[in-house]
Amino acid sequence: MPSTLHPLTSLTAAGCTAVITTAAGLWPLSVAVALAAALLAVGAGVGRRVLAAAVAVLVPLGLSLLMLHGLFFPEGRTVLAAWGPARVTAEGLSFALEAGTRTGACVLVLLLFSFTVSAPDLVAALAARGLPPQVGFVLASALTLLPAMTGRLAAIRAAQEARGLVVGRGLLSRLAAVRLQAVPLVLGLVEDAGVRAQALEARSFGTPGPRTSYRQLQDSPGQRVFRAAAVLLTAAAVALRLITAWPVAP
Amino acid sequence: MNDGSHAPSRQPATAALPAAAARIASFSFHGDAGQTLRNVQLSALPGTLTAVLGGSGSGKTTFGKLLAGWLRAGHSGVLRGSLALGADRVEFHGNSNDPRINPAAWSGRAGYVPQDAGAMLSSVRSTVAEELAFGLENRGVPRVEMIRQAARTAERTGLSGLMGRNPAQLSGGELRRLAVACAVIAEPGVLVLDEPLASLDAAGAAQLRNLVDGLLDAGTAVVLLSQRADALARSAGHWIVLDGGTVTAEGPPAEVEEGAAFSDAGIVAEGRGAASPGTRPAPAAPAAPVLELRGVGFGYGTTTRTTKRSAGTARPAPVLHNLNLTVRPGEIVAVTGPNGAGKSTLLRHLNGLLQPQTGEVLLAGKSIAGIPTGRVACTVGLLFQQPRDQLFERTVLREVGFGLRRLAGGETAAGRALEALAAVGLADAAQTHPAELPSSKQRLLALATVLARTPAVLALDEPTVGLDRYGIERLQHAVAAAAARGAGIVLVTHDLAYARATAHRVLALDGGSLREI
Repeated sequence: MPSTLHPLTSLTAAGCTAVITTAAGLWPLSVAVALAAALLAVGAGVGRRVLAAAVAVLVPLGLSLLMLHGLFFPEGRTVLAAWGPARVTAEGLSFALEAGTRTGACVLVLLLFSFTVSAPDLVAALAARGLPPQVGFVLASALTLLPAMTGRLAAIRAAQEARGLVVGRGLLSRLAAVRLQAVPLVLGLVEDAGVRAQALEARSFGTPGPRTSYRQLQDSPGQRVFRAAAVLLTAAAVALRLITAWPVAP
Repeated sequence: MNDGSHAPSRQPATAALPAAAARIASFSFHGDAGQTLRNVQLSALPGTLTAVLGGSGSGKTTFGKLLAGWLRAGHSGVLRGSLALGADRVEFHGNSNDPRINPAAWSGRAGYVPQDAGAMLSSVRSTVAEELAFGLENRGVPRVEMIRQAARTAERTGLSGLMGRNPAQLSGGELRRLAVACAVIAEPGVLVLDEPLASLDAAGAAQLRNLVDGLLDAGTAVVLLSQRADALARSAGHWIVLDGGTVTAEGPPAEVEEGAAFSDAGIVAEGRGAASPGTRPAPAAPAAPVLELRGVGFGYGTTTRTTKRSAGTARPAPVLHNLNLTVRPGEIVAVTGPNGAGKSTLLRHLNGLLQPQTGEVLLAGKSIAGIPTGRVACTVGLLFQQPRDQLFERTVLREVGFGLRRLAGGETAAGRALEALAAVGLADAAQTHPAELPSSKQRLLALATVLARTPAVLALDEPTVGLDRYGIERLQHAVAAAAARGAGIVLVTHDLAYARATAHRVLALDGGSLREI
């Protein structure tokens, strides 16, 4: 369900939350932000998709954090267990927890934004603020590319299965299937891009000069105030962080 | 239909001036040794329909794109000759001093609608109205004027009721009309339509026909590119036949159609008896069925399959309902029906790509429930509509050989692959990359991949679309040969004439089930 907020408001909210959470560097805050994002996602009806994407990003990341910092944290003093050069230290685990929750919060907030924002609204809003149309097009294409690719991949896979391809459960079998599907997918996308470029030129896309927009976005004074306040608050949080963390000259 | 901006070109003083004229001495793509076009001339007067006819690979699309500025001299290839829109003529000598065409300015006066209508769309606009306005936005047309022009164009093209819809969810016919609308919103003096009726059903074709009539009445010169001499082509005042990149005949349709050049060019002559006999003898003594569908029911339900849904409503009505079908060895059954009736959905049940929600599918008396498609594929060969999604190997021969070794063993596989290529006329192209073939040959290659597996059941989805006359003859021979060796054939088509000429039985898919017609 697309958000009813002005896209820049949700973009500002997501960006500022991510920056403030990072600047604060407190794991309870990170956990609270992550939970709030998850709840909002469920409320917006995209809970399952956001969580699935978050798991795909965070599980490998969390494991690597645990491996790196949990086992090999040079500053670790409180050794909980040790196997040869690998030592589990309290400091290492706490650092991994800190980094993991912080990244988790940022990922969830940004996923919530990307799954709820209406891509055409966002591109229209950015274009109205001077974003070059080419950049806007690339952005919008990137946001719509995944669904388009999924549909085409399904078609390719169906065609290959109809010619006797049986994708087994083994890794090798799956990798072989990926190679077979990648070739027509990429060739198709390249061919599409060629024809689409001609069509875009014919529709004056490359023409320099002022542009207008058919789509009109609803903005409100309240949302403008919110955006300004969020940006100021974020700047203050970053400044505070820099001041407190700056090594004081002896 | 009132068309203010065209008024000047229709005034008596300029009435004799063609809306578009092309004189192409030669055109070759960069990096291509041969000439794609040579000695092609066209002159299209305002309000007239000109048909450029030719078989697959004859150069029609290249010519249309040159005329409309989609391919540009210098940028895409080397052009010698001239192009003119109204009184403005541009001469090209094939050297670096040649003038450059500004595609945006040119296409405002000469529109082009590609065969793949989806390629016309920006793909980044979420409603039909915004997609229509895309070109106007880029030209900086004020919003109020943009809304007015979009509404007016939508009315001309029958899209008024669809302005809020997502372009990705339009039916084939609606998409084609949107692509035409995107081209005519700039009020071009000439409009080039590339195979506008391909894969449209009767209703979609009739709507497009109305749209073309409206444009002609408004004074637009329409140039039709087609490999079929269909009703639309027959309403043209002037035909130009292209063969091997050059004009082999031109003149009034009746005259051209009688000439040898017309029949040599591989153009499909609709409305003149098909190449095969009209009636087919029924297969010999009734044998046990190779394929049976018993009480099959299927609906897309709540899952979001947007690719093949009838675009009318979002209501998940069942696509197939209590559908029965029996096909015996050697029998050819044609299934017809309008776009969105569920024909492709039906075919996907034959090899297990879709599983029936009620009823069952039996092959040689055994149910295929739960068997993976890759295994059912030993018995059922399915030809899809879009060849591009089906070809993935480096050479034509490897493409046909894919999976054959496992099916038939090394020696037999090689022989069968070559045999199948010969059957579709691609024996000479065995070492070519599939992507380098023209689209009609890609379809024949996809057919060869099915034939090589000598399946007991052949399922063909709109096999004639995109084929020229030579291609259709190959297809007909292949289908007849498969039936002669005892295969059961189900072919799905919106082309009733082809169905009648080819099949033993013609069935209509109507309300989710089949009835004999």
